[in-house]
Amino acid sequence: LPDAHYAQAQLVCAACGCVAAEGLLTTTFGDEEHLREVAFSRSTGQREQRSRSVQRGVKRVQDLCRVLRLPRALEETAVSHAERALPRAAFRRLGLPKKELLGGCCVLASCRQHGWPLTMGTLCSLLYADAELLAGVYRGLRAELRLCVPALGLAELVKTHLNSFRLFQQAADIPAPFVEDKEQTVTRTLQVVELAGDTWLVTGRHPVPIVTAAAFLAWQSLRPAARLACTLARFCRAAGVEVPPPAPLRLKELHDVLLRMAAQLAWLRVLRLDKKTVVKHLGDILQHRVFLLRKAFRTEDEEEEEEDEEEKEEAPLDAPISDSEIEQYLRGREEARAFGKAKAWL
Amino acid sequence: MDGVSPLEQYLERCNGQDDISTSPQLFAPMSPYDVDLPIQTTPDAPFASQFNQPKELPPDFSSVDLSFLPDISQDDQDQNPCEGAQDTQKELDGSVSRNEDSGVFLEESGLSEADTTQPCSETSGVCPPLTPMTPVTPVTPASESSGIVPQLQNIVSTVNLACKLDLKNIALHARNAEYNPKRFAAVIMRIREPRTTALIFSSGKMVCTGAKSEEQSRLAARKYARVVQKLGFPAKFLDFKIQNMVGSCDVRFPIRLEGLVLTHQQFSSYEPELFPGLIYRMVKPRIVLLIFVSGKVVLTGAKERSEIYEAFENIYPILKGFKKSS
Repeated sequence: LPDAHYAQAQLVCAACGCVAAEGLLTTTFGDEEHLREVAFSRSTGQREQRSRSVQRGVKRVQDLCRVLRLPRALEETAVSHAERALPRAAFRRLGLPKKELLGGCCVLASCRQHGWPLTMGTLCSLLYADAELLAGVYRGLRAELRLCVPALGLAELVKTHLNSFRLFQQAADIPAPFVEDKEQTVTRTLQVVELAGDTWLVTGRHPVPIVTAAAFLAWQSLRPAARLACTLARFCRAAGVEVPPPAPLRLKELHDVLLRMAAQLAWLRVLRLDKKTVVKHLGDILQHRVFLLRKAFRTEDEEEEEEDEEEKEEAPLDAPISDSEIEQYLRGREEARAFGKAKAWL
Repeated sequence: MDGVSPLEQYLERCNGQDDISTSPQLFAPMSPYDVDLPIQTTPDAPFASQFNQPKELPPDFSSVDLSFLPDISQDDQDQNPCEGAQDTQKELDGSVSRNEDSGVFLEESGLSEADTTQPCSETSGVCPPLTPMTPVTPVTPASESSGIVPQLQNIVSTVNLACKLDLKNIALHARNAEYNPKRFAAVIMRIREPRTTALIFSSGKMVCTGAKSEEQSRLAARKYARVVQKLGFPAKFLDFKIQNMVGSCDVRFPIRLEGLVLTHQQFSSYEPELFPGLIYRMVKPRIVLLIFVSGKVVLTGAKERSEIYEAFENIYPILKGFKKSS
């Protein structure tokens, strides 16, 4: 009876169950002499082992995560990105500096996906990298791995960024009136940042300067009497952070927005506020911001429409028209053909 | 390639042609040579056929039976299984007629090839099976046009003068030429009318940039060739080709880039930490758009003017959906 013992064919007696004959390892001389060995690259061993460069890359990613003190889940995501990215043809050829950036970009992507507010600026300073170079590698990584990476979360960024401000505890070099409660500052800064987003100050801009300017305004408004005289630069120095170059511009824009909104509140309109004094009423403005925003934008829209109408009326009817002026409105033959073709697509 | 959707295959082919490391050049303000100069050959074949076919078809569309356009998903369900997704793709682009038209052309090409499964993957710009999508802007009626015409800002063209040139000699005898062999191995020549710049290489190849129209670019290139001729070289004027066209326009309303990147993830890249604009890589036509919060739009990567117009007509309804509403 044929009966197999694991993978070895055996013939077993039906009556007593003794093994009568065993399968041989090979059956013919041909098998023993002419078959080829199984190459390591074709066995499963090759696939299960990681190449050394991938291992190094993964270790770099893990080190970065430890330095940034990221939670375990983030580290795992970053490592999985690195494991996918590093063996790829597009990245295997990268020089060492770019491979470092690649590791950083995996960490960045992972942070974004988990809502951890790591900024590119932080990453650049960590890796001593040029922002342009980082941008290129990051874009390449996203394209190659087809990563869906959400945008940097401003709310999280506010909380993290304010963590590094020194104004929430007494210290020798900080004047007493400057110290503020962290919770209140964070809450109000969040509101100001949200306001900035609603009023188009955030789209297309670097996020950190907005947060800095918002924090400054929030901090000022919590104790205006003592803090109105303080400048943004002084505030940042006291807080122990650098002044991002665009921050003064963002501050000015925020002031303008606040002034426009304050003009909609009857009891503030009579006060004739300027950019210094409007901060005192930030609380009021924030409280009524939904209503004020709607009012402020509506009047703005109307203004724009009026402007358009005015322009049309000003053009005189019988002004002399030169040939060259007409010609600028006429389509050349080539252009007309091309545009006709484009119209056909419609 | 198992398990990779046709859209991903298509995009992979697109991406394979782009050199990722050169994409930052998009933001370099005055680089004389904009996007890719070398003529792309075979990978473009599926695209090229899509672009060329409309030209070869009779411009008189009465001969084309358009009556089946609304029923396209039902008529061809058995032939073209991914046509069903064409509806969602139409929503995605927000421009119904464009996709339908391209569907017409590509369908015809597909039928003529008698290979009905092929067009599906080649036209994946038209009928991709979509990955999970966030809500998409509503479809606008086909007849609505934006009324805004993008203005051409820059044309990059190349021509072959077909003779070896002595660059030092040229730099010596031409007033409008500069030549710094240590910095760059070409003569930089400028003319005032049309106001353009040319890079002239010792091989006889020339790049002409800065013109605002195709005719101007050709005229300028001819003027440069004349200059080279007058300097004593037997210059010809071979293989003049427009390599890239850049256009810009203004939609006149602010745009919520954060929203746009959410709903058009596959095509958009918006990283305010890196660049203030949103980079939209349109698949059909293959144009890159830089969209800014102010409403200004820059379109680049076109070989023909119609591609710029078409790309803008495609994006306009999408942008309208993200007009400010606070």
